[in-house]
Amino acid sequence: MPRTEEKFPGVEWIDGTGDFIRVDSEKCTGCGNCVNVCLGDCWEIVNRKARIKTLATCMECASCWYVCDAGAVLFSWPKGGTGYRSEWG
Amino acid sequence: MDESYDVVVIGAGFGGPVAAKKCADAGLKTLMLERSENVGEKVISGLTIPVYGFLFGPDFIRDGNPPFERPADGIINYIIKDIDTGDIEIDDTLRVPRPFSPVIAFGYNTYCKPFCQWEAKKALESGVKLRTSTTVTDVIRSNGSVCGICLEDGTRISAKIVIDAEGSQGLVAIKAGIRKKYPPEAISLSDTYDYEMDKSDVDRIFGYSVRFCWGWDEQKIAPPLGHGNGLMVWPYRDSIHFIQDHCLRLDGRKVPNLKKRFKEYHDNITTKLPWWSSEVTPKSKIRARMWEGFEIYVGLDPDLRNMRNHDDGIILIGDAAGLESTELCDGVPAAWFSAEIAADVAIEAIRAGNTKKEFLKKYDERIKAHSVIQWSISGENRYNLRYAQETKDIRLLKKYVHHAWGMAQLTHSLSPILTLSFRYIRKDPTIITKWIRMYFRYYQNWLHNSYDYQENREKPYDPTRRPVIGETVFRAFVGGLDFILWILGPVVKLLAIIGEKLSWLANPAMKLLVPVIRPIYKILRKPMAPIGNRLAEKIIDFVDRADPALFEAKNSKKMAATLRHTREV
Repeated sequence: MPRTEEKFPGVEWIDGTGDFIRVDSEKCTGCGNCVNVCLGDCWEIVNRKARIKTLATCMECASCWYVCDAGAVLFSWPKGGTGYRSEWG
Repeated sequence: MDESYDVVVIGAGFGGPVAAKKCADAGLKTLMLERSENVGEKVISGLTIPVYGFLFGPDFIRDGNPPFERPADGIINYIIKDIDTGDIEIDDTLRVPRPFSPVIAFGYNTYCKPFCQWEAKKALESGVKLRTSTTVTDVIRSNGSVCGICLEDGTRISAKIVIDAEGSQGLVAIKAGIRKKYPPEAISLSDTYDYEMDKSDVDRIFGYSVRFCWGWDEQKIAPPLGHGNGLMVWPYRDSIHFIQDHCLRLDGRKVPNLKKRFKEYHDNITTKLPWWSSEVTPKSKIRARMWEGFEIYVGLDPDLRNMRNHDDGIILIGDAAGLESTELCDGVPAAWFSAEIAADVAIEAIRAGNTKKEFLKKYDERIKAHSVIQWSISGENRYNLRYAQETKDIRLLKKYVHHAWGMAQLTHSLSPILTLSFRYIRKDPTIITKWIRMYFRYYQNWLHNSYDYQENREKPYDPTRRPVIGETVFRAFVGGLDFILWILGPVVKLLAIIGEKLSWLANPAMKLLVPVIRPIYKILRKPMAPIGNRLAEKIIDFVDRADPALFEAKNSKKMAATLRHTREV
């Protein structure tokens, strides 16, 4: 069953994406760039390291991956047929 | 290998189906892979597809009946000098004038999903196999050459050529070592809203014009000048799309808090911009909020721009090849053009039995020789807006806006567009009447909502009234033109060759002419408006009542026969 989120009308999410975004804690400098650019509120900083709070509201834009100067964010596509979808794009 | 194809296309957005269809039409066994469950549901944009995409794009789109939300007649720019005092200047000089508009359109607004699905359906009708819910994880190489792709479940599919239409992130191309990841300075994150609105309100408030807003950064009304789009509003049939976008990083500075900034801008624009707060807010209801990144400035960086878009056995197209328009922010025409070029090169390569990069470099050569692609990825006016902000020079701000989204755009767009127009006329002089029919057919389809969005199919329009005189005039005009173009074909072709050679003169000529035309246009438009509007109403009435057969692509049967022949060969 697709899931909706009150904060983001008109978008549905299908669960089962797998961990398509990961962080290499060794490389992470805790700069917070990923937190700043994420419109889905998916990131947080805990103990000066970036951590994925949730992938349930991710729209797979890869902004977190682009802005990570340390190369600590690893981005791949979610499992086929999962993740966000919208009629209104 | 688990399966084997001539061509595998990664991605069924705007470009993928075009490449796949062309390969299948040429008789190649073609597979298209899409990671979403349904085609088009992961494609997000605020979208006017500029008309040059349709004029010079794939035949099946030009001669077909794709789904549109509304034709666009051009752009109205609001230059916001002081939002609190309401000091706002307007530049609306890049609009197709009445009576030509709205039938002769500047572009066509559309939702991505139905359009991509319509394209994919055409590809399937040509024999393309489509597999959805399928994520490609990597390419497979043999002796260094790409010879297929690997899926997430480990399935290996062999292909003589892979066409990568994956989108701007380009994960497969990066993994394959063809391109590198774009820097955040080249990427813009677009924050997109879809609002429901009664058609009568969209007609009254927006009509056919796209709205752009530009303002000093201190106004906090729109993303910083030169670092993204001010703000854009697209009118659809009974909804509007609102987009603000912002580069992920500005010239090596700290990455901004975009979540906070977008909210601030959105709140300001919807409450402070007079026409938005008084007209739009009471009449609209939010339906969707989405976001997506796109490679806005890749074309302006020589290192990024000159990255290869091919390797042994693989070709990148559209956003995956960094072909985003820097000023109009539209990647669809370039996706279509590059898809067709990629398919042509793939067909030639497979027929020649040579899919090595020495052969496939033809693709990059043709992309670099494509006047409209090169123009669209190299416009600097949007980028340069940052210098207007630095010096707070209002003349500079107005100049850049006028050169990118006002009449002065013709000083840099006319030559590339004419070059391509003449090239197309040289190949087939009767394309002129195909273009005319396209404009009328598209407008009639829009007027009669001739697309079944529920079923995702074209629905026939059965006219109840037929204006005999108008139809006879149109038939005589277009038929006569067809006849003349056919009779004088060699002369027209010769003139087109000369025109193509001389089209470089159009830009400098416009540099001289725009300063003269603009004041005349300003003086004449008001007294001419009633005449233009009355004539436009008559044309709209004619299109409304005319027999759709009048606007059908004349060559469709001949084209289908040619395609069948090609497939058999």
